[in-house]
Amino acid sequence: MPRHQLMIPFALLCLFFLAACGDQPEPVRIDLTLREEQASGERQPVITYAYLPQFSHTVSFERHHRLVQYLSETTGLNIQQIFPETFHEHMLMVAQGKIDISYANPFVYALTAEHSGAKVFAKIVEPSGEAAFGGLIIARVDNPDIRSLQDCRGKRWIAVDQFSAGGYLFGLGHFMDNGIRPEDFAEIVFAPGPGGKQESVILGIYAGRYDVGTVREGALELLKDKIDLDQITILARTPRYPGWSFAARAGLADEVVRDIKKAMFALDIADPEHHLILESAAMRGILPAAPEDFDAVRELVRRAGLE
Amino acid sequence: MLSLFHYLSRLTFQSKINLGLALIIVCFGLLLGAINYAVSSRAVLREALLRGEVLSVNLSARSTESILSMNFLRLTNLVTEMVDRDEQKDLVYAFIVDRHGQVMAHTFRDGFPVALLQVNQVEDHQPFGMRFLDTGRERLYDFAAPVMVGTTRLGTVRIALSHTSIKAAIDRLMWINLAATAGATLLALIGGSFFARTVTRRINALRHSAEQVVTGNLNVQISPAPSRNCWEIMNCTEQRCPAHEDRLRRCWYLAGTFCPDCSAGSFPEKLDDCRNCPVYRRNAGDEIQSLAESFDFMALTLKNHIEELRRSERNLARQKQLLNTILDVTPDMVTLQDEELTYLAVNKAFCRHVGREESEIIGSTDFDIFSDEQADRNFHEDMQILLTSHPLSKEIMTRGGKGKKWHHVVKVPVVENGKIIGLLTTARDITVVKQYQEKLIHSQKMEDLGRLAGGVAHEINTPLGIILGYSQLLLKDFPADDPVAQDIGIIEKQAQVCRKIVADLLSFSRTTEQAALPMDINASLREVADLVEHIFRQNRIVINLHLDDRIPPISGDKERLKQVWINLFNNAADAIGMDGCISVTSKLCAHRRRLVVAVADTGSGVAEDDLDKIFEPFFTTKPVDKGTGLGLSVTFGILKDHGGRISAISPVPSEYVDVSPACSDDAGPGTVFFVELPLEGNELPPDECIEIPKKEA
Repeated sequence: MPRHQLMIPFALLCLFFLAACGDQPEPVRIDLTLREEQASGERQPVITYAYLPQFSHTVSFERHHRLVQYLSETTGLNIQQIFPETFHEHMLMVAQGKIDISYANPFVYALTAEHSGAKVFAKIVEPSGEAAFGGLIIARVDNPDIRSLQDCRGKRWIAVDQFSAGGYLFGLGHFMDNGIRPEDFAEIVFAPGPGGKQESVILGIYAGRYDVGTVREGALELLKDKIDLDQITILARTPRYPGWSFAARAGLADEVVRDIKKAMFALDIADPEHHLILESAAMRGILPAAPEDFDAVRELVRRAGLE
Repeated sequence: MLSLFHYLSRLTFQSKINLGLALIIVCFGLLLGAINYAVSSRAVLREALLRGEVLSVNLSARSTESILSMNFLRLTNLVTEMVDRDEQKDLVYAFIVDRHGQVMAHTFRDGFPVALLQVNQVEDHQPFGMRFLDTGRERLYDFAAPVMVGTTRLGTVRIALSHTSIKAAIDRLMWINLAATAGATLLALIGGSFFARTVTRRINALRHSAEQVVTGNLNVQISPAPSRNCWEIMNCTEQRCPAHEDRLRRCWYLAGTFCPDCSAGSFPEKLDDCRNCPVYRRNAGDEIQSLAESFDFMALTLKNHIEELRRSERNLARQKQLLNTILDVTPDMVTLQDEELTYLAVNKAFCRHVGREESEIIGSTDFDIFSDEQADRNFHEDMQILLTSHPLSKEIMTRGGKGKKWHHVVKVPVVENGKIIGLLTTARDITVVKQYQEKLIHSQKMEDLGRLAGGVAHEINTPLGIILGYSQLLLKDFPADDPVAQDIGIIEKQAQVCRKIVADLLSFSRTTEQAALPMDINASLREVADLVEHIFRQNRIVINLHLDDRIPPISGDKERLKQVWINLFNNAADAIGMDGCISVTSKLCAHRRRLVVAVADTGSGVAEDDLDKIFEPFFTTKPVDKGTGLGLSVTFGILKDHGGRISAISPVPSEYVDVSPACSDDAGPGTVFFVELPLEGNELPPDECIEIPKKEA
């Protein structure tokens, strides 16, 4: 038989054996019989740090974990960031002492200070460079029924949260200043949680489900890559109030607050390391603050009857 | 191994084709099935692994928030729902650990197996990690995906897929594959078998026809008859065309077809012209059909040839038979020898002559058949003929148990293409001719003798008459007691004896006149028998007469014929001496143109050599003083005058032996004398009388 005829069965045989051998790796032997119930881990004394869940936990984590890490390293305290599900839970945990350092909006601070004696000790400089911020009243640009603030009567309003400052309280104050009362709206809806509520409001308006929405300043920029912001019009800007602040729960040791304040105030936007921490936390710096700085907000809360 | 090859080589062609086909198809089916199985099982495995990967990465993404918020309920729901709602039922477990390795949620109902924490560590930068685990009870694909927020590791999610479930899917695939392969193999086998059958059926038909041809049956027709014959396709009405109305053979096998496009040659050469012929294109089949047609054509041609051969063979056989018959019937001996003088052919006469079978003689030489002396003589003689090319013709005399025999031998060299290739010998038995020749010479001699004796007797008769007359005259001159008278008496007596001798001699030489009168042979025989019976009885010799009364009277000299009988009877009595029988028979020959008288005695017989001489004058076997030796000569002469003939045979042939009680004793060989006389005229008819036995040759 010629050689090339012999090659055919040989090649087929090779293919056959090639097909027969698998590429299964050798399994790792493991014993699953050794079981144990999870014991609660050894708990070290920690300082809990919480960011009011205006965004998703992930965003909250991404924004503040560097700051938390910085504070831990600088103060030598075991500071851990925790993630309450809702504004209400946040306030509740501050009141219960589960949150030692609360980073919250002025509305929530005002409520916690009122109810649980939390005490503000620092406030942030907004990325704009101001230590104050306001809210935005937005609608779809092509909504023919809403041309001015007064057109909002009888419409559906979506707000961020009942404890949101820029996303509800400031807007409510602004409506009331213009003679529009909450009962004038067809309905007032709060964005579904947890987290991501600012975005939910904008998306609700963008989708046309609601006629008018209230968000804090700078929220629109969060979605500039996801939706066409030209479809959204800003009906009004609210007056500016003191911005987000750090508050210590009632009863937190003074030296802890002191160490933290010292570390916070040491942050300098010019320092490249600090710059990264501050930038990811969406702030330019941290300034000392006193409770009386927030009187305007307390006044607004009282006026709106939300206390 | 060798027996397996032997077994395979004995299988039928169809079995071989089917077996080979099955082997090829099964091999290819298995091979392709195996490859297919390998490829598809890998694809299934890859899909399963991809699913595990997706599930783990998905779980990682979905658990981020809950890990951050330490929502153990949500985490537990996530993992349990994932496992419980798994439609494929191949998720074995799922669990989530935090960055410190603490288990946050798991699906194990009775405690967490801590060993799992030690395996499948995944780095932060890896999207997922996979390990193949063997728990002893089952095998698992364990997937680990890190839970990352930005560059920060929050924890790890782990899920496991059951290898058994994946393997079940792969096995299912394998069975489908196997079934498909088996089905395809079966279909291919059926199809292959069908095609193989179309080939083997015709090959078997060819084989069967070949066997028929081997057994001698040449009336085979394997190729199917064409649906349309050439004259139908070509609308041909040419009756003289050899292909016309020939439904057995295709036209391209026939030479001398009348189509204008056909060339003049015969089958293999003319086929080139047929390629474009519509008849060929329509009726030509595949190779096997061509083979079958060629085979049919061959068988038909062979049959014709064989029939022709048989005709020739029959013809030759008939001619050979004729030749053999001629050669065997002819009384001449005929032989043919080759140049080595070995017998190639002999006829029956030769076989009889040498007393051997033909088969013994063919292939042998004279040295095997004849005596050495004879063979040597023959050899030299034959070789001389072969060398000189001169034919030989001679007469030879042989003496055997049956007496003297004469043959005329002719030996002729057989020449073919100028070369001597053998020797043809014929030998004719000329004993009878020789006997006639001798008889002729004898009768010539007798005639000469008779003439001489007659002349002498005539010359002596006159002086003898004077001697006798004067002696009688002188006798009267002397008294009876005178011594002179006694002497003269002696002279007269001796002169009388001489006179008797002279009378006999004259009688032998027909010098005496005879009276030709009608007479009865039987009466003459009885008369003589009565005359001598009395004398013979003294010597206890009996005469038995067996006479045929139907014999008509003949013309003859009664007295002289009586003399014949007396001579024959005396002769017989002398041969017997004492105690014997003389049997006398007269009868007509079958053709009724002559009569035969046979006189048989129970005497001492005559020696064979003497039989020819007994009719010569003065020949006698008797003592000197008894008889003159003229008795049978006189008888010979008398019968010759009557136009008859006498012959003798000794010993007596069986049919002439006297069987009467008185004669059956002391019977000698005896002699029988046959006297033949014509019924009319003075000459014997030319045909032989079968009543007279021939002398035994």
